[in-house]
Amino acid sequence: MIAFTAQVSLAQVKSIKGVITDSDGMPLPGASVAVQGGQRGSTTDFDGLYSIEASKGQTLVFSYVGLESQSIVVGDAATINVKMGQAQSNALNEVVVTSLGIKKTRKSLTYAAQELKGEELTRVKDANLINTIAGKIAGVAVTKSSGGTGGSTKVVIRGNSSLLNSQPLYVIDGIPMLNAGSGQPNETFGSLSGGNRDGGDVVSLINPDDYEGMTVLKGAAASVLYGSQGANGVILLSSKKAKTGKSNISASSVTTFETAAYLPKFQSDYIADAGADETWGAAGKTKDHVKDFFNTGTTQITSLGYSAGSENSSTSLSYANTSGSGIMPGNSIKKNNFGIRQTAKFFDNKLSIAANANYTSQNIINKPVNGLYFNPLTGVYLMPRGNDFDYYKNNYEVFDPNRNLMAQNWMTNRDIMQNPYWAINRNKSEDKNNYFNGALAVSYKANNWLSIASRYSYNRVESNFDKKIYATTQGTLSHINGRYINESALSTQRYADLIATINTNISTDFNFTANIGTSITNTLSNQKTILDSGIGTGLQYANWFTLHNFNSNSGNYQTVDSQKEVQSVFAATTFGYKDMLFLDVAARNDWSSTLVNTDKSGYFYPSVGLTALISEMATLPDWINFGKVRATYAQVGNDIYPFITSPTYYYRPGFEDPKPSVGPKPGETLKPELKSEIEFGTEWRMFNNRLGFEVSYYSSETKNQYIQVKALEGNVNGYSFYGINAGSIENKGFELVLNAGIFRGDKFSWDSAINFSQNKNKVKEIPEELGGRVNLTDPGVNSYQYAVIEGRPFGVIEGKNILKDDQGRILLDADGKIQKTGFQEIGNANPDFMLGFSNSFKIGSFFANVLIDGRFGGEVMSLTESQNDFFGVSKATGDARNAGGVKVNAVMPDGTAVTTMDAKSYYFTQGVAGREGATGEYMYDATNVSVREISIGYNFSPKNLPFIQSASISLIARNLFFIYKDAPFDPNIALSTGQGLQGVDIYGLPSTRSIGLNLNVTF
Amino acid sequence: MKLNKITKTAICLSLLATVGCTDNFEDINTNNNGITPELFQQDFNHIKGGFAPIFNNIQTITSQLEWQYQLQQGLNSDIWSGYMATPTPFGGSNNTTYNLNDNWNGFVWSIAYSNVMYNAYNIEQLAKGKYDQFYALALILKVEGMHRVTDTFGPIIYSKYGTTDATIEYDSQQNIYNQMFSELDVAVTELTKRVDSGDDGTASFGKTDLSGYAGKFEQWIKFANTLRLRLAMRIVKVDPALAKTQAEKAVAQKFGVMKTNADLFQIQSPVNTNPIATISGSWLDIRMGADMESILGGYNDPRIATYFDTSAQFPGEYKGIRTGIEITAKGDHQDFSGIGAVVRSKNIVLMTAAEAYFLRAEGALRGWNMNGDAKALYEAGITTSFDQRGASGAAAYITDNVKTAKAYVDPNFPVNNAAAVNNVTIAWDAAATNEVKLQKIITQKWIAGFPEGQEAWSDYRRTGYPKLFPVLKNTSGGKISTLLGVRRINFVQSEISLNKGGVDSGIAKLGGPDTGGTRLWWDTAAANF
Repeated sequence: MIAFTAQVSLAQVKSIKGVITDSDGMPLPGASVAVQGGQRGSTTDFDGLYSIEASKGQTLVFSYVGLESQSIVVGDAATINVKMGQAQSNALNEVVVTSLGIKKTRKSLTYAAQELKGEELTRVKDANLINTIAGKIAGVAVTKSSGGTGGSTKVVIRGNSSLLNSQPLYVIDGIPMLNAGSGQPNETFGSLSGGNRDGGDVVSLINPDDYEGMTVLKGAAASVLYGSQGANGVILLSSKKAKTGKSNISASSVTTFETAAYLPKFQSDYIADAGADETWGAAGKTKDHVKDFFNTGTTQITSLGYSAGSENSSTSLSYANTSGSGIMPGNSIKKNNFGIRQTAKFFDNKLSIAANANYTSQNIINKPVNGLYFNPLTGVYLMPRGNDFDYYKNNYEVFDPNRNLMAQNWMTNRDIMQNPYWAINRNKSEDKNNYFNGALAVSYKANNWLSIASRYSYNRVESNFDKKIYATTQGTLSHINGRYINESALSTQRYADLIATINTNISTDFNFTANIGTSITNTLSNQKTILDSGIGTGLQYANWFTLHNFNSNSGNYQTVDSQKEVQSVFAATTFGYKDMLFLDVAARNDWSSTLVNTDKSGYFYPSVGLTALISEMATLPDWINFGKVRATYAQVGNDIYPFITSPTYYYRPGFEDPKPSVGPKPGETLKPELKSEIEFGTEWRMFNNRLGFEVSYYSSETKNQYIQVKALEGNVNGYSFYGINAGSIENKGFELVLNAGIFRGDKFSWDSAINFSQNKNKVKEIPEELGGRVNLTDPGVNSYQYAVIEGRPFGVIEGKNILKDDQGRILLDADGKIQKTGFQEIGNANPDFMLGFSNSFKIGSFFANVLIDGRFGGEVMSLTESQNDFFGVSKATGDARNAGGVKVNAVMPDGTAVTTMDAKSYYFTQGVAGREGATGEYMYDATNVSVREISIGYNFSPKNLPFIQSASISLIARNLFFIYKDAPFDPNIALSTGQGLQGVDIYGLPSTRSIGLNLNVTF
Repeated sequence: MKLNKITKTAICLSLLATVGCTDNFEDINTNNNGITPELFQQDFNHIKGGFAPIFNNIQTITSQLEWQYQLQQGLNSDIWSGYMATPTPFGGSNNTTYNLNDNWNGFVWSIAYSNVMYNAYNIEQLAKGKYDQFYALALILKVEGMHRVTDTFGPIIYSKYGTTDATIEYDSQQNIYNQMFSELDVAVTELTKRVDSGDDGTASFGKTDLSGYAGKFEQWIKFANTLRLRLAMRIVKVDPALAKTQAEKAVAQKFGVMKTNADLFQIQSPVNTNPIATISGSWLDIRMGADMESILGGYNDPRIATYFDTSAQFPGEYKGIRTGIEITAKGDHQDFSGIGAVVRSKNIVLMTAAEAYFLRAEGALRGWNMNGDAKALYEAGITTSFDQRGASGAAAYITDNVKTAKAYVDPNFPVNNAAAVNNVTIAWDAAATNEVKLQKIITQKWIAGFPEGQEAWSDYRRTGYPKLFPVLKNTSGGKISTLLGVRRINFVQSEISLNKGGVDSGIAKLGGPDTGGTRLWWDTAAANF
């Protein structure tokens, strides 16, 4: 407060005014002006205007985060206009966007935050923006779904910490985005409700060209201001902003071609016995029809942008169109993105308003499913060899004179393997998504140290899934007259906040900034209306797909996944001392509607962090440009699942029985989850900022996890489950980010970056009632189970092994048969460490970028291989038959050694293979290193091109090849982006390799 | 100072705002697709709503939950009764080979408790003393649903259901039977009183009733009486005096027991087909049992045509599978006879009128007053069953004193072949021993009761009839005798983990190890006569 009160009167003081602009001439609001050696200071308003009192001969210091500071001696002039240029990139002046859109100098951060520039997101463009961050951020694991183009993506930052959800929060310009998907599969066999399908997510719907950059906040401290939503980390996206006095039109066009890579291998030496589903018959050459089944996919992304800015207002418009066809025949996608952003300033620039609206509509035909039901791939892979695949392709339906309709034509009536072309054409599905995001932000600058901002946003996601299943579809999947499924889901989020920002120099040595605010978030997720004519009851008239043709209403219902409101107050403060020591103190209190009828209506959580700039505090050798150490401790609370504490009677589909499915355990109250994290880090730059690294260590524990335990069967409350607080998961790890300017010259430069992260995960506690375990995916009848087990890392894969002795010999029973164990741990889906290595080269106007991405450790299971072996179609079974049997190291109970087993007996009759086989034999090391992205291009010189500001052309490739891989499929693809079905492949769409061309022009 | 003030004001303001608008949190946190308790009371839905889940889960018949039926009954009593067999290996060692699968058998318990017991108890809480007709109906359904469970496990939670104690004690089977008899007393008294006063039940229960009775109390009384007769006969070896008293009481009641096929107890589902149709027709997971082929085939019984389809592999032939054999591949037997037209129906029969005649025949054989002699009742049972199945030739069938069961031949695997074991003829022979007469009665009762395996398995355990082919592969590890077969199912895992004390009390009352080889209270090793 001294700064405001201790006014010292000086002679010849005059008022100096001026405008501070950036190198483009755009006014800089919030730039600071100080009198060197004095106590007076001022900041610019929204027009970049400042005024300060100084006397002739004094030096004014102009500074702005991220720009080169300037010192100007006051002369006679009363106006001093300053144009501030981009500072040489160095750690002292970099600015990062943090929580709630607050910009901070990078040096003052007390936690790890890693940025990606917009160019990184669009250089090798993917229809889903988030797929492009793989390998570029330390500690972030990106796993694509097997749903093909338009599918969702699982992002896990610093390890799985929750049983329910490990996905981060996405934030656009400070406002949390609703990232609701309409559901993820979790059945190994495949869902009977239309197959194991990816319900998509919202982040896959946004237009990568709308954003100029991304910041990933990894830890709890970084995300404390977003509360529970940010407990799994936060990904911040900043939208592109128009520049004052400039207008331009940009256009880009990306065309890529995808081919199926890493298909399973098949035998071509044996055929099936007549009428048999499995290929265990006589020798006979067959054609490999699998390769030809897949198409070359194409994806065309065309994006147009227009922006114009004047002194008081700016407008940006964007449009993008994505259209593509997948490698799976019959699969196609169409997506349109529209965006508009408008800003304006009023009242002497004290009041500014920004509004933006984005709309996306997406339509996907035959989004690929995994699992055994409704999946064309099972029919393709498993077709009994010796049949003519092309015949069944061209005649997938034939006229049935008895029914007077076209009926499926296939050699078998197995639910897990229909005619693939019937599945494609007569079990056709359509996924539609519409996403709207509208936001309004108002900010008012009350004076030079206080501004108040308020924001409101509305997100709306509508998704619709429509599947028409024609009569004569296999009887497990459909009624005799066909089946119609139509699911609509609506999710909305309303968010509003009010934040006061205070930024003041208490004295020349002490700086204080604070953000104090309140927010309200109201979320409705997946309000669904589900129509399903069902399998048993079905349609009255064959192939008439509409609600009034349903024989019964029993499969139709409305439901809502979640509905809640969270109201919060929060404050985040930073105290800076001499620009070398920074103390962060933040706190938040949430009141959540999910906590009604519990002992607590709200919950409080704090964070504290400290950063010291060693390079400013001590004298270091000249070659060290920057050195910093930091430490934080933070807690994040998380509310419980909605509706649990207000159970209602509920008619569930298929149950006439209206009783609540979940409720609190009698006599117990529920409380919020709590995540605590401690983090240390250090960052150094040296050799003229050519080499820099940052190392972070963190340790977090999430306690009081909400878990549903099986209630006593037939308890008087009617609950199937009790909701309880229990369970604790720990994550420890470290991250290294290394940047090096290996060579910098006028004609040639080479920059490299390495992102390394290691995470050790441990499930510390799972309650006794659950036997110390929670099954995230139940096995059903298959030998795959995915569980969280006390004392083990998160995500244990369990399966069955062949019974062996200590020497590794197979122990046969008295009949000479292989014996299987019960469920045992056979692997873990989590990587031990991840490494991303990116290189960018410039040779004159040419540029090249190469990203190598590696995941090390962990295991995956291939039920696809197992099933292919069981059916005798795999190359392994063909080779074994050619070799006279499977080589085994086995022993009879009487000690007789057995070295060879008949292939059919081993794989099929004794069932080592198959979905309920000894899946321990089908585990693979998930370690893989791939050439994730490559781009090679040329920047045209604008001088040679009229009207054009910039233009470039590049050849791009994604997932070009694996440098190392053990598994028979791409382990970076998961069957689900939810918590279950990890580390397993069950007829997932093969991974694709894409190569294409990228054109960019700005007028 | 200034800052502090501003901070404070901001926090207070937002606190005020917050406290002011958290009033609607209860609404927000309530699923608006759920039905609230208040709404539910309209039209007495809170009482009536409990009946449908009972009807649909005595045997789970819900479409798309066929797998639950498969585990509740399809892969235990349906198989151990000799009615059906599975061609599917299911791992090679399971219920079929007497290695009882806890993951399967848990459904016997969970389906009964979360549907039958839970709703019967709720109806009792809401209706007793106020709407006693619903209470009475719920009691009959509870006895129908739960006697199957005690006949499977022995001691179970019965009188103590509804307590919120950490440990819920099991009752002895004797106590459960006594309670069931007195519950039937209460129900029959109440409904009879109503019928006498002119309330036939159709108005209050007609629309709720998913049985074929359309709400008619008189029919429900006949069902309750027949159920009493069934339970009475069950305990004949352990408590013959009580058995006689209860059996005669049932027959002598004003409305008596079932007499015509219009009286039989069946679920008439508006939407659900018998789950066996899917399990057999779509999944090919259940087929004709070898014993059915042996007995029906040996008798040249015309009912075979509705019970089974001919084999896809051997056209025109009925081909059954033996249970408890070495199965290496499903394909080996999957094209044997599937289950026939009897299950391709939305009417799921849980008790036949024929059964009432066979029970009375056995009672008469034992010298009880059953309003008829054993021969007449036995023959009426057969005629009623023929009538129910739409089969003709009952008159000739009844007098056939030549045909007996035939040998079983597995055309694919001769190792499974067996000579016939149930060697009785059809025609009543007044000169035969009581033992032979009983074998004939139970054999015909067994044929008539198809496909309801639960009751057939209970009769088999009580009487040893009809004689069934033994398993060839016993992987019970010595727990279950090949000769005697499965006598019960061991207590379920969910109870062991959540109500250990209760299970311990049950084991104490069981009087033997908690295995499938221990006999129940009514299942004594004593002779039939």
